[in-house]
Amino acid sequence: MMENLIWGYIYPNEAEIQWSILIVLYPYITGLVAGAFIASSLYHVFGKKEVKPVARFALLTALSFLLVAMMPLLAHLGHPERGIEIMFTPHLTSAMSGFGYIYSFYLIVVVLEIWLSFREDIVKLALNSKGWKELLYSALALFSYDISEKALHDDEKLAKKLAIIGIPSAAFLHGYVGFIFGGIKANPWWSTPLMPLIFLMSAIVSGIALLILLYIASMKLRKHAIDHKCLQSLAHYLWIFLILDVVLELLEIISMKYESLEEIEIINRLLSEKIAFTFYGVQLTMGIFIPFILLLLAGIMKNRQTLKMIMISVSSILVVIGVFAMRWNVVIGGQEISKSLSGTLTYVPVFFSREGVLPAIIILVIPFIILRVVTYILPPWKDMEEESE
Amino acid sequence: MQPHLKRAFTLLALVIIAFIFVRALVVPASFGQYGWYRGDSVEDTRNRPVEYAGSISCGEENCHKIIYSVWAKDRHKTVNCETCHGPSEKHVGNVRIMPPPANDSRDFCGLCHFKRAARPANFPQIDPETHNKLKCTYCHSPHKPWFI
Repeated sequence: MMENLIWGYIYPNEAEIQWSILIVLYPYITGLVAGAFIASSLYHVFGKKEVKPVARFALLTALSFLLVAMMPLLAHLGHPERGIEIMFTPHLTSAMSGFGYIYSFYLIVVVLEIWLSFREDIVKLALNSKGWKELLYSALALFSYDISEKALHDDEKLAKKLAIIGIPSAAFLHGYVGFIFGGIKANPWWSTPLMPLIFLMSAIVSGIALLILLYIASMKLRKHAIDHKCLQSLAHYLWIFLILDVVLELLEIISMKYESLEEIEIINRLLSEKIAFTFYGVQLTMGIFIPFILLLLAGIMKNRQTLKMIMISVSSILVVIGVFAMRWNVVIGGQEISKSLSGTLTYVPVFFSREGVLPAIIILVIPFIILRVVTYILPPWKDMEEESE
Repeated sequence: MQPHLKRAFTLLALVIIAFIFVRALVVPASFGQYGWYRGDSVEDTRNRPVEYAGSISCGEENCHKIIYSVWAKDRHKTVNCETCHGPSEKHVGNVRIMPPPANDSRDFCGLCHFKRAARPANFPQIDPETHNKLKCTYCHSPHKPWFI
C-alpha cells in the first residue's frame, strides 16, 4: 500500500510524514489570535469608531484562542509536563526556543488590555453582586474600586499604550511562527524570507473573518440587531488585508517560477499533483478569489442589508476555510516533497489517534467553549448592542 | 500612578519573580556544565549496571563455540547474539543465571524484514500478508538465515 503513496526517490527517514494535522492547527490558531487582536486595535489604537462594538469582544476572542495556541504542539510532542522546559532552559540556536517567551509576553499584554478595558464593568459588578460572584469580581478588580473619571482616563491611556505594544507583539508572535517554517533552509517550499509576512497577512485575514462570524452568530443567538456599519467596516478591512495576503502569496509562487532554481521541477509537481486541489481550489479560488469578489460587491452595493450580511458571512466562512487550506498547503505540502528534490510522499490523515483528526477537532472546539465562559464572566455585549440602536 | 494599576503591576512583578524562583529551583545545578544538558547525567549514566556482555563473550571459553562460528560466517553476523537472546552480562558472570528466552516471534523478525518503502530494495524483505504465515524460524535458521 505504501508504494502507491510514494513517487520517485525519497530518503528512508521521509517515508512517514511527521508533522501531522496538529501542526497545521498550530499556525492556524496563533493566526486567529493575532488577527483578532489586530482587529480590536483598529479601535483601541487607530480610533476607528465603527468597530467599537466588537473591539472588546475581539480581545476576548484573542484570549480564548491564545490559551489553546500551544495545545496542538503539546498534543503532538506528548509529555505536556515538559513543555515549560522550553522556558526554563531555552536553547538559543533553536527558533522554537523563543516561543515560550513571546507567547507569555503576548499573553500578559492581552490579559492587561482586557483587564483595563473591562475594569469599569468589573468594579460595578463587584459592587452590585453578592456571595461568590462578589468575591470573584472583587478579586478581578484586585480589591481596588476606583472608577472615577480620572482613573478611567488613566486606564484608557495605558490601554492605548499597551495596544501599541500589542500590535508589534501580535505581529511578532505570528510572524515568528512563519519564521519557524521560513527558516528551514533544506525545504525549498518553506525557505523564503516572505514566509513570516505571508503568515502574518493570512493571520489577520482569518482573525477578522472569524470575528465577523462570531459577531454575527452571537448577535443572532442573542436575538439582537446587527450593527451594519460595524460589519461593513470589518468587511472593508477584511477586503484590504485579503489583497495584501494574495499579493504576497502569489509573489512567492511567481518568484519561485521565474527564478526556476533546481527545485522548480519538484515544486511544479507539488502544485500540479500533490496539493493542486487545496492550493488552487481551496486556498486561492475559494479562500481568496470568491470572497474578494463578494466583499467587493458588498462594498459597492447600496441598501439591501440582509443580502450584504449573507455575502459578508459567506466570504468570512470561505476565508476561514481558505486560510486553513493555506496552513495545510504549507505544513503538509512542504513534507510531501522529498529533500532529494526528486520524489514525493503522501500524507494520509487518520481519525482516531493522538495525531489524528479527532484531537484536532477537539482542540479547535475548546477555544469556543473558553470564549463562552469568558463572555459569561465578562459580558462584552453592552457595547455590541448599544451601538446598533 | 493609580492604586489599582500599582496593584496590577505588583501582581505582574510577583508572577515574574515566582517564575524566576521556580526556574532556579527546577533547573538542575549541573545544567550547562558540559553542554546544553544536566552535567550530572554523565555520572548517572556511567554508574548504571552493565547489562550486555557482547557477542565475543559467547564464543569464548568453549561455551557456544560451534553456533558462534556458524553465526560469525553468515549474513546475520552484524546482528549481535544479545539482539535476539537478550542482555546476558549476568549469565556470563554466572552460568546458572539464564538470559531471557530468545525472541523468535514473526513480528520480531519483521522489525527488520517486513516490507517497508523506506528500506533499500535489495534488502531481504517479505510482505507479511502474502508470505508463509508460519513462524520464521520454522524454515529459516536465525544463525544461518538462508539455510532452509
